[in-house]
Amino acid sequence: MPLIVAEDLAKTYGKVVAVNGLNLTLNEDSITGLIGPNGAGKTTTIKMILGLLKPDRGNVKVFGQDPWDNTTIRSLIGVVYEKSFFPPHQKTLDYLKRVCRVYGVAESRALEVLGLVNLQEAMDRPIKALSAGMLQKFAIAHALIHKPKLLIADEMTANLDPQARSELLDLILQLHKDEEVTFLLSSHILPELSRVCDSVAIINQGKVWAYGKLNELYEKYAIGIIRISTDNPEALATEIKKLSYIEKLEIDLRGISARVAEGMDEKLYEDAPKLAKKIKAKIFGIETGSASLEELYRLAVRMSERR
Amino acid sequence: MGKGKPFLEIFASALHEDYRFPILEIFAFLYALGTFVFASFGPIMTQQTVSNESMAYNLTASLLGLPLFIFIIFIFKNVAYGLGSDLEKGIIQTYFSYPLKRRGILTAKLLSAIGVALVLFLTIQISALYVLAPDIISPYLGTVLLTYAANLSYPLLVAGIMLLVTLALKRGGLTIVIGIVLYFAMSIISSIAVFVASATNSPLALQIVSVISPNVVLARYYSMPFFNELWTPAFSDVLLHIGTSYTIVVFLFFFGYFYFSKRLGL
Repeated sequence: MPLIVAEDLAKTYGKVVAVNGLNLTLNEDSITGLIGPNGAGKTTTIKMILGLLKPDRGNVKVFGQDPWDNTTIRSLIGVVYEKSFFPPHQKTLDYLKRVCRVYGVAESRALEVLGLVNLQEAMDRPIKALSAGMLQKFAIAHALIHKPKLLIADEMTANLDPQARSELLDLILQLHKDEEVTFLLSSHILPELSRVCDSVAIINQGKVWAYGKLNELYEKYAIGIIRISTDNPEALATEIKKLSYIEKLEIDLRGISARVAEGMDEKLYEDAPKLAKKIKAKIFGIETGSASLEELYRLAVRMSERR
Repeated sequence: MGKGKPFLEIFASALHEDYRFPILEIFAFLYALGTFVFASFGPIMTQQTVSNESMAYNLTASLLGLPLFIFIIFIFKNVAYGLGSDLEKGIIQTYFSYPLKRRGILTAKLLSAIGVALVLFLTIQISALYVLAPDIISPYLGTVLLTYAANLSYPLLVAGIMLLVTLALKRGGLTIVIGIVLYFAMSIISSIAVFVASATNSPLALQIVSVISPNVVLARYYSMPFFNELWTPAFSDVLLHIGTSYTIVVFLFFFGYFYFSKRLGL
């Protein structure tokens, strides 16, 4: 059963169109990344899913219900905002115990979730005394108190150091595996998402431009990427760039990475050795490359901007 | 997962923030100090009153000066900073993740911001009246309560306006400025109304002001006849003005609840 179904969602702020005809279906037992540039509409989409904003058009169902002011849904969802705020003068453990009472779970769960995010040493500190990173960990602990079925996080790792980020990603995988928590994660940090997500939705200008299982998307969008390993990448790249069907070309440690127009991969397989011969360069290998999440993201953003 | 108590916990959390040490202690001290200091002058000021009922009114009204002002500051602070800052900083957004209806969250916040401050204020005031003048107060408890009702409606009306401004702006600082300006504007408007009433020889301006601040009509009802050349209100006028005033207050809060529950986007 899909946990989230958003159909033709639209939201504007004055003259600014934040979300414009967005469609998204989030399936149970998945870790889905919501990626897109700043102002793409990610946070607005998440807010509409959480029932914090009403869409101007379209509708959203979470667990089959309208999320606006819906207490049933709130019991099933955990939320981590990019910037989380809590009553500042209360102590961390005391506040989490309060949240346990809000949901009717045993107060021992408060210490348990603090342990999950390695924040036990701060249990007696007032919330206002936590650093940005600690506050983000606290927000994650707070979101896990009631063992939610779905956890929605907007830039969850934004304030965390690399070690804490890595631990958090492990925690996400562990919760997904052991407690079957479904995740919707919005982030700018693509390598992180590619580590944990099994699906991604690429959003730009208020629309989803690519959505699906990560491996399927890689397969779909890898068609146009050819990697060429050579002893003289700069010179060969200059020649290849002149070919009319080359859309994008990059040189990295692995050699040349070229995106070609649809259906033209075989042509580059033919042309590249000829060009190498012309400039007296050696080619060690030509292969169809798999797209990285970053490439996938760039492609989708480019597609959206062309339209 | 058992049955949680989200309302009680959000209320307790709001109390913890609104009345943290030493705010509650300072305000309680100022309430008590203001009440008893003014009470010592109260009976002297009421020597010229014509009836025990008027004396009860004058004694009660004499106690209201500083404590009422402190009460107003208290609820303005709580509405502007308790609710406005919570909206501004995102704490309300956090509360919106709890399994409690939006109206329940607002009720918990307002109960802490206004309800508790009101109970504290009335408890100290009425206790002081019973301690200082039991013979006057006991038989005229209705007059005492009417005096409080008349004097509290305007602060509550401003608090209602502040609630709407807070929800619209989602900010705390500006709201408290608007509240204070509105409160002091009323003093100026009352003075202008008296002037207009005298100049035009018509009580209309006073009657209009009494809808917003029914203490004006109550003061005229209980004060000496020579103050009432322009307008000598009957008791039904007093009830009408107080009732109308509270109707406006209820409407403002109702509108605030409606907006918070149905429209407020965060």
